[in-house]
Amino acid sequence: MIWQQLQSLAGSYPLALRGLGVTVVLSLISLVLGTLLGFGLGILRTGGNRLISSVIGAWVDLIRGTPFLVQIFLIFFILPELGIELDAFTAGIIALTNLAACFICEIVAAGIRSVPTGQVEAALASGLSRWQRMRQVVLPQAMRIVLPPLVGQYVLLIKDSSVVSAIGLTDLTRVGWLVVQRVPNGLLVFFLIGLGYFIVCYPLIMLARRLEQRMGAAHGEVQL
Amino acid sequence: MTKTGMIDFRGVNKWFGALNVLKDITLSVEPREVVVVCGPSGSGKSTLIRCINGLETIRDGDLVVDGQRLGDPATNMTRLRTEIGFVFQSFNLYPHKTALENVTLAPIHVRKIPRTEAEQAGRDLLAKVGLADKVDAYPAQLSGGQQQRVAIARCLGMRPKIMLFDEPTSALDPEMISEVLDVMVAVAEEGMTMMVVTHEMGFARKVAQRVVFMDAGAIVESGTPDEFFSNPKTDRSRAFLSKILRH
Repeated sequence: MIWQQLQSLAGSYPLALRGLGVTVVLSLISLVLGTLLGFGLGILRTGGNRLISSVIGAWVDLIRGTPFLVQIFLIFFILPELGIELDAFTAGIIALTNLAACFICEIVAAGIRSVPTGQVEAALASGLSRWQRMRQVVLPQAMRIVLPPLVGQYVLLIKDSSVVSAIGLTDLTRVGWLVVQRVPNGLLVFFLIGLGYFIVCYPLIMLARRLEQRMGAAHGEVQL
Repeated sequence: MTKTGMIDFRGVNKWFGALNVLKDITLSVEPREVVVVCGPSGSGKSTLIRCINGLETIRDGDLVVDGQRLGDPATNMTRLRTEIGFVFQSFNLYPHKTALENVTLAPIHVRKIPRTEAEQAGRDLLAKVGLADKVDAYPAQLSGGQQQRVAIARCLGMRPKIMLFDEPTSALDPEMISEVLDVMVAVAEEGMTMMVVTHEMGFARKVAQRVVFMDAGAIVESGTPDEFFSNPKTDRSRAFLSKILRH
């Protein structure tokens, strides 16, 4: 019987690959966009403008303080009522990008705040513009603090992407739901699904660990 | 309009909360003049020179630097800062950049000098401060005295009109102080306008035209080094000098 199930599972192989592909593509796009947006928000969050900083802070708290599933439902089911129609993939990208940006914003802001004020003063005193100070002096030093938790956050977000199956996107998790209807062995099916996520995430976990060790050894001098 | 110096304080006041850290400061520094500022800790001497390049802002009074009034909307502070070198007590070198990169960063990005040219100038400057063999070293690989000399070279790379020194030798081990002071003497002898917060009275005697003594946010006394050291006029300056010259 287990042999039959395995054979039947083997038939679902293309579907599983497609699901894995959706998960990877969805995660990749959202992580790239979320990282860009997150760095932008993090820089603004620590910039001089109180109003901008507190608006961003409030938004980040709101997103961090509500379940991701609820956020996806709001974007996919509630926005159309306001006349904004989104397909599931776009809705998934928006929700995941927003989530990523909010977490990354806080990581980046913490990194920027960790750079000693003397560094900013030295850069100011030599006449570097605001952007040059950020790009040449602050960010390279902040990266030491930012990189390990950033990669760790990527792992969390890839796993969070499984929530998009709730709005009908055929990602890896939804493939599991579909397959288990034909092959009634939930333990086996979801073990394999879990394995799929693990294969994507494990290299990142290793990378985060290595970065952490290297940053610990580097005493503030990171070669980027 | 009276004649203006390179740095002109006129009735400058500054508060940190309720604390009046600069009290009615009036002081004019001529081009090529070297002024040493001394006084007990907390007397406002660091604050005084930090105001000159806008690291601190003043509450009232006028501060005119190189003909430009600070706080005036017409004054481009970033531009003005390129004319003012600032040497910090704690060096503040960029830890992720080599000595040469520390020196060339602002010339390349602010002055827009071509990289090869800036690097040549940077090597020359590092040689001038006695660090020709350390161009590729990172700050963490350098001693305090070497780091401070790189910091001075970093300022000189911008060809500033004014150099400000905020206790440049206070964070150094005693055996490294003279190597930094030697560089500062050389800079002074080339005719740089300098304000130096320091207790190194040997340096003051050697190159300063004027010593300014501050206490509790006010300028208490000012005069030539000879006048000040051999014949201090106020009780407070006498008390201060007896403390720092005792050893």
